[in-house]
Amino acid sequence: MRRETQNILLVLLGGALLKLALTGTYLRYVKESLQPWLVVTGATMVVLALVSIVRDIRGGQGDPNGVEHSAIEHAGHEHGTSRSPWMLLLPVLAVFLISPPALGADTVNRSDRNAAQEANASNGFAALPSDEVVPLSIGEFVTRTAWDDSGSLNDRTVKLTGFVVRKDGDVFVARLTISCCAADASPVKAKMVGQNFDALPTDQWIEATGRVVPGSATKETAFVPTFTVSQVVPIVTPEDTYEG
Amino acid sequence: MLCVLLVLALVLQDWLVGVLDVPVLRTASTVFVAVCVQALPFLVLGVLISGAIAAFIPASALRRALPKRTALAVPVAGVAGVALPGCECASVPVSRRLMQQGVAPAVALTFLLAAPAVNPIVLVATAVAFPNAPMMVPARFVGALLTAIVMGWLWTRFGKAEWIAERALRRLPDHDGTSRWVVFAETARHDLVDAGGFLVLGGVFAAAFNVLVPQAWLETLGGQIVLAVVVLSLLAVVLALCSEADAFVAASMSALPLLPRLVFLVVGPAVDVKLIALQAGAFGKKFAARFAPATFVVAIASALAAGAVFL
Repeated sequence: MRRETQNILLVLLGGALLKLALTGTYLRYVKESLQPWLVVTGATMVVLALVSIVRDIRGGQGDPNGVEHSAIEHAGHEHGTSRSPWMLLLPVLAVFLISPPALGADTVNRSDRNAAQEANASNGFAALPSDEVVPLSIGEFVTRTAWDDSGSLNDRTVKLTGFVVRKDGDVFVARLTISCCAADASPVKAKMVGQNFDALPTDQWIEATGRVVPGSATKETAFVPTFTVSQVVPIVTPEDTYEG
Repeated sequence: MLCVLLVLALVLQDWLVGVLDVPVLRTASTVFVAVCVQALPFLVLGVLISGAIAAFIPASALRRALPKRTALAVPVAGVAGVALPGCECASVPVSRRLMQQGVAPAVALTFLLAAPAVNPIVLVATAVAFPNAPMMVPARFVGALLTAIVMGWLWTRFGKAEWIAERALRRLPDHDGTSRWVVFAETARHDLVDAGGFLVLGGVFAAAFNVLVPQAWLETLGGQIVLAVVVLSLLAVVLALCSEADAFVAASMSALPLLPRLVFLVVGPAVDVKLIALQAGAFGKKFAARFAPATFVVAIASALAAGAVFL
């Protein structure tokens, strides 16, 4: 591959990273904490490419493999044999043209696992606020139903935020948790009962208010609690769709 | 060529978006972008270090810093891996650069295997993911270090220089007259373009396996420990998770005993599809075809040994 093409690809890829980081789209793929690194990475790529372009224009003048840097270039690889850099075009096209959405119901249904961890239970459970309706993450909701023996959720009205998932005739409110990037996403979900949810399309984001069915998250149900919903409100998709 | 491709892609954009509007493909494309976005900062860190080594550290200084006998230098390189806080993508360009600067291949390869698994960030992540099993941290550290050192010694004994592509070993010319900063920028840029393509290739495989491997496998393994070890080690290879995240994934497989999960954590950073693609790019296909399977076996054995001691 020609040097000029490589440099243009680098500018495009660096630009793609900058676009993701600066528009907030990166939250579909990685955690919030990676944002500054993405900015630095994108900028570094663009700078490395620009330095090389400027040197070509100054030194080469139509001879891109001018004497000045040919020694370094030739030390690295054989010219014309490497086609692998073309692969760099794939993420560029994916980001600018397709802009894949955040993971949703399809990923949840790829696993029967409910990712809330037993480990969290060992630290004990803080008392819930005494408000009439307690907003909870689905992860915490699942953990408390499954492992909090004091029954802190029984007879409490809670509000869960997530998207609609359907499987085998059941309807769930679900979220995905990521620890690094979307490749390691694991689902947390609660089965919704008490209403007809047919009007809600799959992947629709909702706020569901209701009460847990005590003791419904057991090994037999793969730790998926049952949630008796009294009210469900469709909402717009939040910017950061992942939990925890 | 590039222009033609770009125009073609723009023209076909609607068609592309339409084709990808199938749940499986949508999930796969998201995972693909996620793997690339997650890994690129580490790769850039790696190529910057690689460029700095090429430009600012004379080969003679490296040789003086390491013990003369390769057999002794191997464990030193393994422990030196603690100093590169990053995932596996960063260590490939760095170890290739070390080889070009005259460090023995066995020593550079030990560093390649050790760095992603024994650095403090990964160990802290492991401790956070397994609060109820604190012995996972030393078990992982020892398992990974053992893998790296054994592979280094195996290479010293059996490795052949001709397996490594000639381009990876060619010494850099002394930069007579060229400014050090130019060497730095050119080396980093070149390594980035080279390794980046292979990283993307690895990302494609990781995304494909992510949607193709049925997660239900895991849930049926339960008590069959031998089967669980085999399946989890294969899973570590095909999922290509970054070494800072894999502990959380392993922790979520709470239906399985600790030992197979330890194997998952030791194998993953040493050999996975993304890493195999990067190694094939940096050191040649002949190298990757031998090194990756050997590492796979050694990593499983090391993890089992570490598990026997600590778990």
